[in-house]
Amino acid sequence: MSNYFRIVAACALLALVAPLAQAKDVTLLNASYDPTRELYEQYNAAFAKYWKGKTGETVTIKQSHGGSGKQARTVIDGLPADVVTLALAGDIDAIAANGKLLPVNWQSRLPHNSSPYTSTIVFLVRKGNPKNIHDWGDLVRSGVSVITPNPKTSGGARWNYLAAWAWAQQQPGGSDATAKEYIRKLFKNVPVLDTGARGATTTFVQRGIGDVLLAWENEAFLSIKELGADKVEIVVPSLSILAEPPVAVVDKVVLRRGTREVANEYLKYLYSPEAQEIIAQNFYRPIDEQVAAKHARQFPQIKLVTIKDFGGWTAAQKLHFADGGVFDQIYAPSGS
Amino acid sequence: MRIATAISATLLLASAGGAAADDLSDLRERLEAQEQKIRVLERKLELQDEATKTATSATPVVRASPQQGFRIQSADGANVVRLRGVLQFDGRYFPDDVTAATADTWLLRRVRPILEGTLNGIYDFRFTPDFAQGKTVVQDAYIAARFKPWAVLTAGKFKVPVGLERLQSATDIRFIERGLPTSLVPNRDLGVTFGGDAAGGVVNYAFGYFNGVSDGGSSDGNTPTPDAENDTKGDWAARVFFQPFLNSDSFALRGLGFGIGGTYVDSTGSTATTLLPSYRTPGQQTFFSYRATTAASGATPAVNGTFADGERLRWSPQAYYYVGSFGLLGEYANVSQDVTRTTATAGVRSATLDNKAWQVQLSWFATGEDESFRGFTPGSVFSLENGTWGALEFVARYHELDVDDDAFVGGADSFANPDSSASKASAWGVGINWYLNQNYKWSINYDVTSFEGGAVGGADRPDERALFTRFGLQF
Repeated sequence: MSNYFRIVAACALLALVAPLAQAKDVTLLNASYDPTRELYEQYNAAFAKYWKGKTGETVTIKQSHGGSGKQARTVIDGLPADVVTLALAGDIDAIAANGKLLPVNWQSRLPHNSSPYTSTIVFLVRKGNPKNIHDWGDLVRSGVSVITPNPKTSGGARWNYLAAWAWAQQQPGGSDATAKEYIRKLFKNVPVLDTGARGATTTFVQRGIGDVLLAWENEAFLSIKELGADKVEIVVPSLSILAEPPVAVVDKVVLRRGTREVANEYLKYLYSPEAQEIIAQNFYRPIDEQVAAKHARQFPQIKLVTIKDFGGWTAAQKLHFADGGVFDQIYAPSGS
Repeated sequence: MRIATAISATLLLASAGGAAADDLSDLRERLEAQEQKIRVLERKLELQDEATKTATSATPVVRASPQQGFRIQSADGANVVRLRGVLQFDGRYFPDDVTAATADTWLLRRVRPILEGTLNGIYDFRFTPDFAQGKTVVQDAYIAARFKPWAVLTAGKFKVPVGLERLQSATDIRFIERGLPTSLVPNRDLGVTFGGDAAGGVVNYAFGYFNGVSDGGSSDGNTPTPDAENDTKGDWAARVFFQPFLNSDSFALRGLGFGIGGTYVDSTGSTATTLLPSYRTPGQQTFFSYRATTAASGATPAVNGTFADGERLRWSPQAYYYVGSFGLLGEYANVSQDVTRTTATAGVRSATLDNKAWQVQLSWFATGEDESFRGFTPGSVFSLENGTWGALEFVARYHELDVDDDAFVGGADSFANPDSSASKASAWGVGINWYLNQNYKWSINYDVTSFEGGAVGGADRPDERALFTRFGLQF
């Protein structure tokens, strides 16, 4: 029987080694959320150059974009993403808990809770701010049309929702009940729910729908850059939330594809000064202090709450966005 | 007075003008509101379309097709489960009155539901039981991991990559029963192979390691335990096959393929487990077998049989050529087998016997369809209403199996008994295949086999005339 063992072992080894024989060309798949297209397009080119110089290998990074929650479900359902760069930790938690594709302590594997950049939520309004929108309270006025994606599928929408909730809670006499009522009124003014942040931007900017877009700060800046300051302008509310989009290697995928080393390096390189500069250029807030200082004037100072104020993503998800949660209780599609 | 009148008139006009401006502004606001509503409705429809497309692209596909059976597959095609089946009902008739009367029979030759599929786009599997002829046999049960087209690891029970006609599917073979060279090459066995297609299919190769089976046999026929090792030694098997013009523009050469396959083992059997085969005619009657061990009975002493004792090397060069409606398939098989027999008079006798066989097959679609090694597409389907008849194919073959003459040397001490085993079988056959459509086939074959030896006193065994017919269903 030892003969059999040797044969089987030899064949298995050959089968394992054969695919690696062409390991000089590596492909990675990055499953990301909606508004990161431009960031990763620029970053991927920089990383490919860096990796080629370091190892001599040619790495090709493919991108998949969509609403953050939707992307997480796609990865759980089998999308072979080597890395995920999503809008919020809760979505990667879901991949760890429901898909068992990476350990539950994934967030401790990279600096800054695995968030190489941050962002926040601002308002994008039409030029001249015709509806006179300055803060969260203005969004629930009659006749104001608000554009925000669906919190069930979009990470950005969840940040929007929580920022709005936090503002309502901090108003005089504010409580969970008043915040819930505020959110109900807010979503009553939302005529259409896109599945992701980029879709919501399309609705507001290209389709001309709504008076105000609740947007990622980077998405708002990008819209101005692309459309021109004569079309839309940014309104900074009195309070917002510190959005910390995290990144993680999907262990089971990289193990199967033999891409762990390059995938790890792909995410680590996000923390390098070169990558942080790219991050700032794409209007994300860099975590590198020097790069942040260099671009400080670009980002307005805002009073920010954090996810910790909601007890972390697990608690926030369960209370607000899980089936039967607060959002399900208050939201009825307009016209229904 | 004039001034007062002028002022009054001016105020009146201004008032009227202001009212008109208010109306205009109100109208503009209403228009903008209507526009917003229309835009929102349009956007909702747009999003609905996107959601529908996304849902459609994620919806598993269920298909039922004549070519590929019944199939369920994930939207991305990476996970597939397919249910297929083969049913072959044969009639066998021997008009010569020489073959045993019991050989005339109706027969369920193959009853095979096939469950196969792919997981994660890489891992193929197949499970094929066979319930024909009153027994249950697992024909195929394997997993094949397709890491690359040229790197496929297959493990389980499946056909050993050697004989050309043996590797042709039971639904694609042109005759009801395969030719004589197939008697010398292994059928299905348990083992592992590594192989695949290189250069876009121009080269197909496989090498592997199997439990080992006797000539023409499957591992379910192994003794004493079916589907298990029977000699403590495994067989090495390898095959390489070339189709050099497969991807060329040359219509005349595209269907040319040639190669060679073989097996090797060095193992020793016993009088109880001989590891030796019997050979059968195209009519499936045994015409050659080695001497068997018999126990003493009354005044008749016990006799030791022949058994494998040493190396067995099989090799089989093979080729086919398909062009238009014509097909040609040829193969040669040679088995070099070490045998031993111990008798009271001769003591231990050992020899290396070389048995060989070859065949040439011709096929022609009279209805113009293209011939090929695997499958075909009928130009029409049988339909009385439309006056179409399906595809009609004529086939012919000549084949021989020649047993080494040394097997019969030694009189009573020989390895095979010349009074009951023929040293050579030569056969010709013709046939018609009528493909009513891709799923139904009716065949009729007539084979005539002549023998050298095999009868008492050194006479030749009478010719065998076999008329076979088959009603076949496949999906």
